[in-house]
Amino acid sequence: MLDTAFEALKKFDWGSDLGALAPIEDAVTAAHGKPEARHEVETRLVTALQGELSRDAREYVCRKLAIVGTAACVPGLAPLLVNPESSHMSRFALEQIPAPEAAQALRDALSRASGTVKIGIISSLGARRDAASVPPLGELLQDGDAAIARAAALALGAIGSADSAAVLQRSLQAAGGSPAPIVDALLHCAETLMAANKLTEATAIYQAFAQDNQPRLVRLAANRGLLACASKQA
Amino acid sequence: MLRQILPSILVLTLLAGLTQFVRADDKPSDDLVKLIIKLIGDPDREFRAAGLEKVRSSAKGAAATHLFAAQLTKLDAAGQIALLSALADRRDATARAAVLELLGASQDEQVRASSILALGTLGGIADLPLLVKSLSASGPEQAAARRSLVQMSGDTVNKSLAAELKTATPHVKNALIDVLSTRRATDESPALVAATVDDAAQVRSAAMSALGQIGSPDQISALLPGVLKAQKGGERDHAERSVAMICSRIDNEDERGTRLIEALNTIPPADRDELLPLVGRVGGKKLINFVGDIASEQDPARRKFGIDALSKWPDASVADKLLEIANKTADPAERNQAFQGYVKIAATRDNRSDRQRLDRMKQAMKAARSPEEQLLVINRTRTAYDVEAVRFVQPYLEDPEFAQLACETIVEIAHHREVRDPHKAEFDKILDKVIAVSKDAVVVDRAQRYKRGETWERPKK
Repeated sequence: MLDTAFEALKKFDWGSDLGALAPIEDAVTAAHGKPEARHEVETRLVTALQGELSRDAREYVCRKLAIVGTAACVPGLAPLLVNPESSHMSRFALEQIPAPEAAQALRDALSRASGTVKIGIISSLGARRDAASVPPLGELLQDGDAAIARAAALALGAIGSADSAAVLQRSLQAAGGSPAPIVDALLHCAETLMAANKLTEATAIYQAFAQDNQPRLVRLAANRGLLACASKQA
Repeated sequence: MLRQILPSILVLTLLAGLTQFVRADDKPSDDLVKLIIKLIGDPDREFRAAGLEKVRSSAKGAAATHLFAAQLTKLDAAGQIALLSALADRRDATARAAVLELLGASQDEQVRASSILALGTLGGIADLPLLVKSLSASGPEQAAARRSLVQMSGDTVNKSLAAELKTATPHVKNALIDVLSTRRATDESPALVAATVDDAAQVRSAAMSALGQIGSPDQISALLPGVLKAQKGGERDHAERSVAMICSRIDNEDERGTRLIEALNTIPPADRDELLPLVGRVGGKKLINFVGDIASEQDPARRKFGIDALSKWPDASVADKLLEIANKTADPAERNQAFQGYVKIAATRDNRSDRQRLDRMKQAMKAARSPEEQLLVINRTRTAYDVEAVRFVQPYLEDPEFAQLACETIVEIAHHREVRDPHKAEFDKILDKVIAVSKDAVVVDRAQRYKRGETWERPKK
């Protein structure tokens, strides 16, 4: 059954009967909590990915690897990252694979990618809250492409660590103003820090933005943050 | 220049904030309280709301409440009202003194009303006289006092409110009765029963309404003097309806009848007949014979009461009895009363089908002896939502004496889309006739709308 399904996958395309792939779906589900079965289905998916597949079939495989994927499938997914057609689904899988190799693959792809593909990779690193990405993302804050710099700021905000906050604060100082993406990112950092009970760090960020020289909405957000921090402490 | 120094200011502020925060670690709730106080004093409503949200839910304890309440005198009216509401929601009685102080000092009607309202949750029995006194005020203060008294908790609140009822002015009595009813103060219902024979009609009505809501069947006999004291007309109808509502709490129909008859027997015989309309409102098989016998008595005055009672029956079970009286009597006035009662009861939208209601109307038309009686039947046929009812009324469009009323009945039935749509072609033809015949612009407009598949909204009175 599974063999037949993988054969069907080779010919699968938009509009094909998804029922033909049901055994793959079942194998993925059955692999939960069973490392050997997981490895087997992962291997078969990677093998399929390396063959000739339609775009729809490739995306199907990526969706399944997002569930069963481990470090072993990263070499199969990494080359897809810089291809505009496949980057999105590759990131979809790599974002969810907990292995550090997945994050490394995303970081490695940064230097090879450009434009929207690069923005997507940056966003995936943020979504993974990958601490090791703080330095490269910090460098991208100075990127000549404003969209990339903005994506880097937001990713650093999503990472929400003391380190990412420090990088953002330095960037704020260098920017000579209060660029909205950096402010947003710092407030995001503060929220994450507060959720992690790092109240001292979170409060420091909020206090900086609660000052009268800040825009009204920023002050409001900061004051709400301060209240939340103080309530948590009380 | 500012662009250049702004980042430095931010970093310095950030560092300063960090230091302050570390220092504040020793007294974390102080920081929170200070921040809340700063925000509730902010002129920007959104900032203020952020602080008020925390007054409601955070920084627990009397010390913080005291500090928050102390801000009341420092705020503008809008701020005072918002803080009063937050303090009320905080439900810490520590704020009571500040609220009373503000109430004493403020001339602003809305601030005073908000203070009174806050006392409902922050105050206690000691504040009851003040709140009762506020019931005699007008506008928002009275409404706030009413809500406050409804909210106030305490074992003796209902008792104290009932005691106030004895000496208050009619206006305040009215409000107190409403409060006791909303509080569902069944333990104090004797005070409400006493109020049903008050000298002021508005107090009697309020007490009857309250008991209609919270009264028990054990009080039926105690309420009958109140029904008798109610002025005939609107007040009497209302009193009867309230007692009928209490009777309806007795599930068993026979027992309901028995209990009401028992209650009637506690009333002097001379007054009993006046309560027959109430018997009619309660209805039930057991009471049909009781009233039916009276309606067939020799004494015309008693018969009148009996027919009146049957005409108020909640369902059509007495229709035959009324028709029998109408057909047998030789007295034109009694015939008129019984026939009107029959048509009214026959048309009642009870649990019978529309076809059954229509059959009764056809029966009434056969029994009608004058154009006035025929008009009555044509008019009431509108309660049978059935195409057959339209067919029954349609011939009267040809007779100028009945045409206008027939038009009105037809559009009333045509209003119901579920009756109209399955017979659209037939309705369109009849509605064309209505448009041609009717002299009433509203009826013509309705007929045209229904032909177009539109609806019509009855103007609000």
